[in-house]
Amino acid sequence: MNTPVVIAAYARSPFHVAEKGALRKVRPDTLAATVVKALVERSGVDPDAIEDLILGCAFPEGEQGLNLARLVVLLAGLPQSVAGVTMNRFCGSSMQAIHTAAGAIQMGAGEAFICAGVESMSRVPMMGFNPLPHPDLAAGVPGAYMTMGETAENLARKYQIPRAEQEAFALESQAKAATARAEGRLADEIVPIEVDGETIDQDGCIRPDTSTEGLAGLKPAFFADGTVTAGTSSPLTDGAAAALVTTEAFAKSQGLPILARIRSVAVAGCDPTIMGIGPVAASRKALARAGVGVADLGIIESNEAFAVQAMAVEREMGFDRARTNLDGGAIALGHPLGATGARITGKAAALLKREGKELALATQCIGGGQGIATVLEAA
Amino acid sequence: MTAMAERISRVAVIGAGVMGGGIAAQVANAGIPVTLLDRGDLAARALERLRKADPAALMSPRDADLVTTGDVDADLGLVAEADWVIEAIVEDVAAKRALYERLESAIGPETIVSSNTSTIPLAMLTEGRGAGFRRRFCVTHFFNPPRYMRLMELVAGPETEPAVVKAVRETADRLLGTGFVDAHDTPGFIANRIGTFWIQAGVNAAFGLGLSVEEADAVMGRPLGIPKTGVFGLMDLVGIDLMPHVSASLLATLPEGDAYRAHYREHALIGRMIADGFTGRKGKGGFYRLDRAGGRREKQAIDLVTGEYHPAERPSVAAVQAANAGGPAALIDHDSRAGRYAWAVLGPTLAYAASLVPAIADDVAAVDRAMRLGYNWTYGPFELIDRIGVDRVIARLEADGAALPPLLEAARGRGFYRQEPDGGVAFLGSDGDYHAVARPAGVLLLADVKRGAKPLARNASAALWDIGDGVTCFEFTSRMNTLDEQTMALLAEALAITASNHRAMVIYNEGENFSVGANLGYVLFAANIGLWGQIEGAVKAGQDAYKAIKYAPIPVVAAPAGMALGGGCEILLHAHAVQAHAETYCGLVEVGVGIVPAWGGCKEMLLRAFADKRRPGGPMPAVNRVFETIALAKVARSAKEARALGYLGREDGITMNRDRLLADAKARALALAEDFTPRQPPAPIRLPGPSARTALMLAVDGLAKRGLATPHDRVVADGLATVLSGGDTDLTEAIGEDRIAGLERQVFATLVRREETLERMEHMLETGKPLRN
Repeated sequence: MNTPVVIAAYARSPFHVAEKGALRKVRPDTLAATVVKALVERSGVDPDAIEDLILGCAFPEGEQGLNLARLVVLLAGLPQSVAGVTMNRFCGSSMQAIHTAAGAIQMGAGEAFICAGVESMSRVPMMGFNPLPHPDLAAGVPGAYMTMGETAENLARKYQIPRAEQEAFALESQAKAATARAEGRLADEIVPIEVDGETIDQDGCIRPDTSTEGLAGLKPAFFADGTVTAGTSSPLTDGAAAALVTTEAFAKSQGLPILARIRSVAVAGCDPTIMGIGPVAASRKALARAGVGVADLGIIESNEAFAVQAMAVEREMGFDRARTNLDGGAIALGHPLGATGARITGKAAALLKREGKELALATQCIGGGQGIATVLEAA
Repeated sequence: MTAMAERISRVAVIGAGVMGGGIAAQVANAGIPVTLLDRGDLAARALERLRKADPAALMSPRDADLVTTGDVDADLGLVAEADWVIEAIVEDVAAKRALYERLESAIGPETIVSSNTSTIPLAMLTEGRGAGFRRRFCVTHFFNPPRYMRLMELVAGPETEPAVVKAVRETADRLLGTGFVDAHDTPGFIANRIGTFWIQAGVNAAFGLGLSVEEADAVMGRPLGIPKTGVFGLMDLVGIDLMPHVSASLLATLPEGDAYRAHYREHALIGRMIADGFTGRKGKGGFYRLDRAGGRREKQAIDLVTGEYHPAERPSVAAVQAANAGGPAALIDHDSRAGRYAWAVLGPTLAYAASLVPAIADDVAAVDRAMRLGYNWTYGPFELIDRIGVDRVIARLEADGAALPPLLEAARGRGFYRQEPDGGVAFLGSDGDYHAVARPAGVLLLADVKRGAKPLARNASAALWDIGDGVTCFEFTSRMNTLDEQTMALLAEALAITASNHRAMVIYNEGENFSVGANLGYVLFAANIGLWGQIEGAVKAGQDAYKAIKYAPIPVVAAPAGMALGGGCEILLHAHAVQAHAETYCGLVEVGVGIVPAWGGCKEMLLRAFADKRRPGGPMPAVNRVFETIALAKVARSAKEARALGYLGREDGITMNRDRLLADAKARALALAEDFTPRQPPAPIRLPGPSARTALMLAVDGLAKRGLATPHDRVVADGLATVLSGGDTDLTEAIGEDRIAGLERQVFATLVRREETLERMEHMLETGKPLRN
């Protein structure tokens, strides 16, 4: 990048299961505003210096409708001079927010951006309230509206990944997340949320009691004869995440706690019927742009929409599992669609610093057949 | 007592067993807050069981919110707020007395206390209590399960205040919907006194004459208007281990010389079954069991001689066939083992019943009503005697050398009931005279209206009656109340007659079910010989007839009870108002036979969903909701649930007591007739067209992949999606109801030509169950 861009801070709400979880009664705009406000306060950034709030959301309607980003600016009590734009690349929305900020910085369109994401899957359902797909497209390109579960089953078939291996992967994700929580490694990034006088400051999706037997007993979730279950899928989740993205010079001048520098970014399209493989093309492009290889990566955040999806990506990319999703992935932590990109990019940046590594990759798949990737380096 | 609570607004039930829990649930169903007490957390656990009970104890999940549970020791003070405390604890006189002693000081000064005892005389229960308690005490004996068994035997003691009896009666009748019968304070009251005798006689005779349990139940069931469970199936249902307790209690309290004492026998096999845990459906099995060994489901019956189970037979009994043609008289006179069995059970039972009036109840009508409501007999013992012929019964008893009860002697040559010139019915009283069967105020039965009256119009499928005050009653009369072109033809005529000479019309009948829908047999027959024009004509005729209801110049009130399925549900959707019995089971179940609702069901459900101001915005939620309801053939398990599903509107009424349904519907019709203005067509609606159909089918495809929808389910769902999305309409275009009705016809015509649809219909007609093809 011509102008070096850094991730100066990262924060998120606790993630809770949709419809049953502790955040089900929290409006998504409130959730996002609470996280954004905390991010600004914790980082110590001068709010007047912020150019724009770029907010990712996968189903921007209902309480997530209108120009959610601008409403969050006002809700969070940021100066009126801060602008707001809502952005949708489905699951990649808030990683896209970071890319967009980095791009804006390159063209001199600002120095400091809040790149956030939110999804209340309790309050706005997947597909939205009024799904009205294009009849001709649905008939002509079946992948266009295919359910994510079906794309996961397609990957299981294509990569011949049996159910037991998917379950072993899910078990490992749960174990990593449970340990991280128990050892307090998640505490720093979580912004407590007040709900009806109660403070929610812990994640709610993690299931530390997950067992091989328990997973083996679940029914297939999408195909009668399928291999993917609720246990090997990321849960429907409520949550918000935010990262502070600035020029390196700005961060230094303000004395911000720089986590990592952005080295390269990429997006790529793929066959929508196996959308889960999207990270492969995106990651390869981003790594090539950075001029590094997979072996150079010390930290990998590879989103787990489904165990089989993350495993297919792992296999194609040759990811070292010991360096991947150190504190657990979306299967255990949850996947609030619009918020995940900011979480895994912010997390990769924070891990880079915590673990003292040089290079990190954050990547995720996107419904409709896309991938998005970001390469970070120690700053 | 002068200040007796006129209205019972809070009830407490003590004892959270099967009966206590069931009673509390029915009180909650009636909308009355109820406190349920038992030891420790037993009441709380009972409430959890009630939530999940099958058949459902609660009419709506929200009714559970009306139940407060507590510990009978710690929370006994809660009874102070109750207007009526119902005791349903263990059948033990000492335990009940001890509880009453504690209640005496805990209850309010006007609180009524009643016992759900089934066998203990009231006089024994109140021993040791003060006069103030005794005058507020009575026995209210419910039957299990209280929601579904309507009988409540009400026993007042000599000191019970009339105002107490009145308050309990009113509440039980109007709010709980029970059919109360005044019983005298004698052991087992009415129904169980006769029922226990009948069961004992049925068991004795089966052993004595060497009948199998299948044969015995085939004889002692349907041919006599008794549930098909007969004697042995009934014991399995209530619990075989219960019988010795009931017998012991009766033997301890029945008068010397009571005929039950002579009939009482212990059968070694039954004793062994109880000891080994074969106590019926709740145990390891009973006289019947379902063998699930090796993944199969085989109904088996026990051999009364060897005690071994064998595959249950469907006995072909000549005596039963004789009864089909010649009624119960042909059954008891049939010269066969089965015929002898029928008489060996019925003869003594009928004589026993006749010997007990007026000891157990004021009159034969009360006894008959108790057996109808408590044991689900179609005819009580005295009605049965009349059907057989009283003189024939007397002759048979005399031939047996049995003693004739005086009441039976008094009926010789005339019978227990007689038709009065005014159309009413009179029963033979103990004084030897006939007395009119009185209906309580607010009870109007079509059967009474019809007796001796001529219909205003009738054909093979329906009839129109004058029920007074300017109101007519349209009755379905076909088998199972199925609907066909004749129904529709008479409906048109009925509306014309009512409009010219009357003020309002009620659609009502007293069949087991309001209507199970269109006559599928006819559709299948016509389809098999390719009479497509006929079928499509019938669809159009139904749409026109229902539309005529909707826009009738006089108000039309539909009053369903039991199942109202398919076309039987669609007619409700077109009426100006519905007054439903609480036990109404509505559903648009057409997809089960491979078609879509085409008598305006899709149309009306859509219009309702769009008119609902509380629905979420956008074109899809309303379409989606209706699609789910119809595509999944959701059947409401109560009138309250029908409201939740949208089959009934919020302004439609619910009547708890079946006997009050017609009067309530008539009152509703007359209220609507004041300043009645015929309906105007609804505002056109904007449906999303093909995009919505695509969205709905994406969801259906997801279900199919999960193995939850069959290939033909998908075809039918696609047809339904076409209708509900408005066909090829566009979001910018507002369309009227006739366009949707046209889509119903068009899709119906396509689906009915499919082989898979006809297979579904055939399967439904043969088995009564949907085919998943």
